[in-house]
Amino acid sequence: MIPERVIQTSELTKNYGSFRAVDHLNLSVRAERITGFLGRNGAGKSSTIKMLLGMIQPSSGSGVVLGYRIDDPKQSIEIRRRIAYVGEDKGLYGYMTVAELIRFTRSFYRDWQPDIERRLLAEYRLPPNRKVKALSKGMRTKLALLLALSRRPALLILDEPTEGLDPVSIEELLQTLVSAPANGTTVFFSSHQLSEVERIADDILMIDRGCVVLDMSLEQIRENYRRISLGFSNPAPQLQSILGVEKMRSEGRQITILASSNADAIAQMGRDRGAVDIDVSPVNLREIFLETVQERNRQDQQQHLEREDALV
Amino acid sequence: MLWYKSFRELRTVTLVGAAAMAAACLFVVFYQQPMRATADVPMTYIAYIWKSIYNSLGTDMFLILSVILGSGGLLQERAQGTSGFTLALPVSRRHIVITRAVMGYCSVLIIAAVPIFAVPMASHFIGEYYPVAQTCGFFALWAAGGAVFYGLTFLLAHRLEGDYIAVLVAIPSFMLYGALLNLPWLARLPMLNIFHVINGEDMPFFNEAQHLLAAPLPLLTLTVMFAVSATFILLAARRIEPLDF
Repeated sequence: MIPERVIQTSELTKNYGSFRAVDHLNLSVRAERITGFLGRNGAGKSSTIKMLLGMIQPSSGSGVVLGYRIDDPKQSIEIRRRIAYVGEDKGLYGYMTVAELIRFTRSFYRDWQPDIERRLLAEYRLPPNRKVKALSKGMRTKLALLLALSRRPALLILDEPTEGLDPVSIEELLQTLVSAPANGTTVFFSSHQLSEVERIADDILMIDRGCVVLDMSLEQIRENYRRISLGFSNPAPQLQSILGVEKMRSEGRQITILASSNADAIAQMGRDRGAVDIDVSPVNLREIFLETVQERNRQDQQQHLEREDALV
Repeated sequence: MLWYKSFRELRTVTLVGAAAMAAACLFVVFYQQPMRATADVPMTYIAYIWKSIYNSLGTDMFLILSVILGSGGLLQERAQGTSGFTLALPVSRRHIVITRAVMGYCSVLIIAAVPIFAVPMASHFIGEYYPVAQTCGFFALWAAGGAVFYGLTFLLAHRLEGDYIAVLVAIPSFMLYGALLNLPWLARLPMLNIFHVINGEDMPFFNEAQHLLAAPLPLLTLTVMFAVSATFILLAARRIEPLDF
């Protein structure tokens, strides 16, 4: 029986020396849904995934995947038996042929589906007798996906799955991922391609500097997130941050607000403070991502400058 | 199927090593006449084979090949970018390391076994005789000595990252060990001299006059060598278990 939450972490932390890659991360992934895992390079996505798979040990905190503890080596084997993983680098054994690598991987899993294997082999046009080292990067990615998808895993974890794929293959992959939950597979994938995430994900988990900065279903994001532009006839007044205001930027006579909820009340507040031009528009994932990340970048730079000033 | 992966990783080195060992044995046997003719002192065919294969070229080649076979493993995989795939398999790290160690040691045994067949058969071809029992005895000595060289390199390969670092560290280490054996207090303990144990030189089980293994092999010493090698491999597994990849 698959638990309702297939991945759950509590205060999960990973330090590499003095650098904290994952910072008290609390995340939860719902079963039989597609969750997009977003973040900048170095945000802690790969470290989180590697901790879930037992490849790196957490510095503190805990995590559970499919009911098994990630920090217990024996339970970690059970996790890996039940999930499929496609890593960021798609590093496969170059000295094996495609057919040999499939045979090798198949031997570890009782739930291997030969019919899916055959279908994907034909669909991806992978030459069975060619050495893996002779495959292009895109073909290697397809082979890694075939190895992951030729089972019906309870959880499919993919780290940048579309990297190196041509547009047709990306489309095929996205279609495969979309149909996975219907077969009882939960998909958890990291990607920089926000448009792809927006197309197929049910839930969005965004992390930055090892912390969750957004955890919401895409439906909620579409329903609730709004960009509110307030135009004033005089220099924009100071507005207080009320419920739902995520980001607020003031430039001359214009105030731009990114709201995660309560858009009507925020617009009303603008009206009350003398806004003459009010525009409320939906926001896409890309804008939310950039706003969130850029704001934190700005804060970082500001703190850095302040520290430098203090030193001078 | 982990054994298959290790087999594929080791196949080329094993085949090339076995072929090189066979070529060395055949070269020594087929060129015995000119070599023996130019020797400083006359020697029997059996003495010539011992000096050429078991006391120089063959042993040196075998030990170097044991060291080369000991390199590799998960750290090398990390450098090659395949460790993520291996570690995502539903097997323990200990299982991965031990399988690699056992398969690597099987390769060592294959190379050690080449003279068992190559020397007596080639000798027969040129009308000479070299006893199979002797080649089998030296096989057992090589198997034990090779295990130590292999085991230490395997441990180094699981501590030092990089393709050839373990080999580059192991070979000078063994040279240093060879130099230390000349220290008077170590010279008094001949069984610590692996180089002599594996070729029989100055050993009670070796007849220096006939250049033949003449007494039962030192089973205790050989057992200790295997135990030392097994310890190195277990240490390698222990080292890998908590490592971040």
